[in-house]
Amino acid sequence: MTAVAQSEAQIRQQINQAASQMKTMQCDFVQTKHLKMLNDKMVAKGRMYYRQGNQLRWEYVTPYAYTFILNNNKVLLKNSQRNDVIDVNQNKVFKEIARIMMNSVVGKCLADEKDFKTQISTVGQEWVATLQPLRKDMKQMFQQIILHFDRKQAVVAVVELLEKNGDRTVIELKDIHKNEPISSDIFSVD
Amino acid sequence: MSPFHRIFSLWISLLFLFSHGLWAQAKFPSVEGERARYAVYIELPRSYISGVCILLHDGTEVKGSLFNEFGISAMDFVYRPKKDKVKLLSVQKMLDKWYIRKRLKRDLRELIHVLQQGGSRYVDEKYHITFQFNPMETEE
Repeated sequence: MTAVAQSEAQIRQQINQAASQMKTMQCDFVQTKHLKMLNDKMVAKGRMYYRQGNQLRWEYVTPYAYTFILNNNKVLLKNSQRNDVIDVNQNKVFKEIARIMMNSVVGKCLADEKDFKTQISTVGQEWVATLQPLRKDMKQMFQQIILHFDRKQAVVAVVELLEKNGDRTVIELKDIHKNEPISSDIFSVD
Repeated sequence: MSPFHRIFSLWISLLFLFSHGLWAQAKFPSVEGERARYAVYIELPRSYISGVCILLHDGTEVKGSLFNEFGISAMDFVYRPKKDKVKLLSVQKMLDKWYIRKRLKRDLRELIHVLQQGGSRYVDEKYHITFQFNPMETEE
């Protein structure tokens, strides 16, 4: 069967299978914010770590230092000024942010039928999933979320966030390593 | 001067140019085309907002965008020096209430006055909000 002939259901199945088999993932990322009004862009770089079981570390290294760690029900936010630990069960906004970040990175959000209307297509060497937010709070923030999957690894390679004001944020995941051990210290929120 | 010394001097000059010429501390944009970037930290009584603010002088006004570290926009605004007024163009839904917009416009105007003077901190004493805008190094 050729890739072109793959149905949306088959692609979903492959992505879901890869996501469930992925115990860990770590990579570098480059985030480019395109500002429509200013005709400008801002590039930030960092490192990401994921471990199955609700653990994610998203760390900006340059041009600012900022770390977001999700460890089960707790989130640590660390910047140059302070550290804050938040219980996601007591903070609905953070619960949603954490869930969407996690699910986007591993591609699980394709299964979030209550949250997004999804269309998947094959473009060259990648699968492109276009997610239209269905919920009010998400609609207020994003027009669309576009996930670009590397077909060989069946993992997300690029995340595009399109905002209502015309701004666009593109996050490229680079040098992806799957299923390599990651120290628990990486996800420590204490 | 030996060829080695000439090359060494040139290399030092280039290094100096790169370290001082291409990178500069942001200053408030005052002429057309000038831009400035700030690391933003806004402390509220029970929470805080952090991120980045970019300003651009387009000849008649200063346009500004404020967004968090993940790149999500908080607000776009315009400062009109002639009228000394701030207009909010888009504001994140959470902040989009008439009384917040009113206060934001006032606070942003006062903050801009501070930034124009070379400062980086403005405190809204009435509502206990501290605005800290630290210049970020930017590529010219």
